[in-house]
Amino acid sequence: METHDTQPNPEPTEPTEPTEPQPPRRRLTRSREDRVVAGVAAGFARYFNIDPVITRIAAVALAFVGGAGLLLYLAALLLMPSDEGEAVVEASRDHRNRALVIAGVVGLLLVAWPFLLGGGFLLAGIGIPLALLVGTGVLVWWLVSGEGPSGDPGEVARRAALGVGVLILCWVVFFGGAFAAAAGPDWLVPALVIASGAAILAGAFLKPIRWLVLPAVALALAGGLVAAAGIDVEGGMGKREYRPASALDLRDRYELGVGELVVDMRNADLPAGDVPLELDLGIGDARVIVPEGVCVATSADVGVGNVRTFGQDTGGVDVDYEDSPYASPGTTRVLLDAEVGVGAVRVEEIDGGFPVDNTACENTGDRASG
Amino acid sequence: MRAGRPDIPALVAGLALLALGGVLLLNALDAIDLGFGLFAPLACAATGAILLANGLSRSG
Repeated sequence: METHDTQPNPEPTEPTEPTEPQPPRRRLTRSREDRVVAGVAAGFARYFNIDPVITRIAAVALAFVGGAGLLLYLAALLLMPSDEGEAVVEASRDHRNRALVIAGVVGLLLVAWPFLLGGGFLLAGIGIPLALLVGTGVLVWWLVSGEGPSGDPGEVARRAALGVGVLILCWVVFFGGAFAAAAGPDWLVPALVIASGAAILAGAFLKPIRWLVLPAVALALAGGLVAAAGIDVEGGMGKREYRPASALDLRDRYELGVGELVVDMRNADLPAGDVPLELDLGIGDARVIVPEGVCVATSADVGVGNVRTFGQDTGGVDVDYEDSPYASPGTTRVLLDAEVGVGAVRVEEIDGGFPVDNTACENTGDRASG
Repeated sequence: MRAGRPDIPALVAGLALLALGGVLLLNALDAIDLGFGLFAPLACAATGAILLANGLSRSG
């Protein structure tokens, strides 16, 4: 009798490609060979494949952030295993001791929480502006040179630094241009902007001079802002306080470049009828203090700021305030004509006080603001 | 000396700056009364045109 071997034939299998050896799983451990204190910083550096000096500097810097670095280091020391062993927590074979260590770490973190939170705010306060600065620098350099934020981190940092340099140059040009527009001849900044534009335009056909574009734009913006606000600093700087003793001492016009301009007319014994008063201030506060029983008609032009007079407070940009009340017969009416670039115009009856109603005036007359 | 097409971003920037400078000069000569209501949109338009020309020339 013939017998057959009944062993099943194995299924034909497709040839498989040799599998690549799996890289060893990275573990976050405390370094024993490269340690300074307990190897925590070196362990992090090895895990993230960076120079341990960086993590050590970060640890020291964090130590000054409300002590957060020290607490984090201590927590890492307890929780991170060493190269050849287990973490302090795991090393405790006794479950009771292990629970105590875990509770200690949790308690430590709870105690450290306010410090960590404060440190977080501090880091955010430093980190976010720094990130914005780097981003702005990269953007500026991209606009100037056409080199975008690509390449290795060192190259990006170089471009960000160059961009920040251009930005600083632009700020210098901006403030210099603003000062020139406010203190120099009116035609100077417009002429410089036109000359820059002409040079850039000619360069478009000959050889582009793109580096000039941003400083020229900064100059144009500075000149425009000063012109739009009507800032004029020819009158000097500081605090000017005038207390005319009589109507004869009262000038028709008071002027100041930057600062506080105060005209206190309480002792002036003003005559009945209209008394003109003109104020011209570049940047700052212009205050007019009038005696009781005096009507004030105000015409104020403020570039950026507000006008506060007799219960009225109008603010914003391009503020054009007009209040032309009529005065009773035999009453003094001050015709205030104020021009302020950036700041405020205030009319007061007592020093620092703002009366609600202009009671000396017969009625409100025409009032407009815009 | 460049041959062929002009550099478009520089061309736009030059024209925008000429326009801004012209408006500032008109204000300095008291031909117009420049306020923020006029200057703000003008400055935004000029800056925007420069950025747009710059970006389009790179993407093209």
